[in-house]
Amino acid sequence: MAVDMNAPILVVDDYQTMVRIIRNLLKQLGFENVDEASDGREALEKMRTKKYGLVISDWNMEPMTGYELLREVRADEILRPTPFIMVTAESKTENVIAAKKAGVNNYIVKPFNAQTLKAKVASVLGDF
Amino acid sequence: MPAPEVATKVRDAIIALKGADLKDPRLGEVLSLASQMSEAMQMFFSSIDRTLFDEMRYISSYIQRTRVEISNLRPNDLSEDRIPRAGAELHAVVQHTAEATNLIMAVAEDVMAADTSDPAAYQAFVSDKMMEIFEACTFQDITGQRIQKVVDTLTHIEQRLERFASVMGVEDAELEETLEDKRKRENLLNGPALNGPEVAQDDIDALFGTEGASMDQSDLDALFD
Repeated sequence: MAVDMNAPILVVDDYQTMVRIIRNLLKQLGFENVDEASDGREALEKMRTKKYGLVISDWNMEPMTGYELLREVRADEILRPTPFIMVTAESKTENVIAAKKAGVNNYIVKPFNAQTLKAKVASVLGDF
Repeated sequence: MPAPEVATKVRDAIIALKGADLKDPRLGEVLSLASQMSEAMQMFFSSIDRTLFDEMRYISSYIQRTRVEISNLRPNDLSEDRIPRAGAELHAVVQHTAEATNLIMAVAEDVMAADTSDPAAYQAFVSDKMMEIFEACTFQDITGQRIQKVVDTLTHIEQRLERFASVMGVEDAELEETLEDKRKRENLLNGPALNGPEVAQDDIDALFGTEGASMDQSDLDALFD
């Protein structure tokens, strides 16, 4: 099935610079429909009012972390199927395993390059 | 009244009573026993007084030494000057880094959105934009110097505290977990690793089977090695 390039993507990060980087990289990949949230709580509110084709989230944010957001999403019957990629500087084994157990679809360690983001988005959404 | 003085007064009173014309011999025995007890008590209280005096002298010298060591820490200099200055330096680093990053990203966005129909104009435009990027990168030299100042302050504090702890024989107390600590522990908020990612992206890819490979228990175990 072809990837819907117009499906909205939610980028969640408390650093505006990182949101800007990911937004630009997604734009280069052909995804123009990108929304932003600065923490898990704001992301959750947006997800409850709009259906997203993909969530790309940082881990370490206040007041709600990306890990908490992931667990909330996976615990919610409606939001559960939303693909979720974690993009974070948290690179300990326990973080990766915990995210995997919580149901994350892929995991990118910061700093990352455009090729890595493209590969992970493709692994979750399919080749585009 | 100090204990030896009390004992002396009791003994004097006994001597005075002995000197009086007492008819009952049992009273003499009582006085004799009281006299012995008074001497014994005097020795006992003298020893206690000496011990107390020694203890007080030790505590006094310990307090004095503590005051000297705390004074050597220069706590006012730390709290009023060095630490606020270090905080201001770090704040400036964050600000300069953000400004430079935003400038570089804005330039990159301008270049990506530039009109390429006129190659000569496009080349001149890109050349100008690259100069802006070079200029923005000058922040690195300044932030390097600022961070070095903060490192110097931390080293200074570390050395003083180390000496204080050593001289005073301070041992680390068990700390109760704060709500903030609890949140960090529960949310696995470890922060970035010091020397690059602890788990490489390739290993994570293997875990998620990005390249089509599945991960079995031994691969999972390898992540913990």
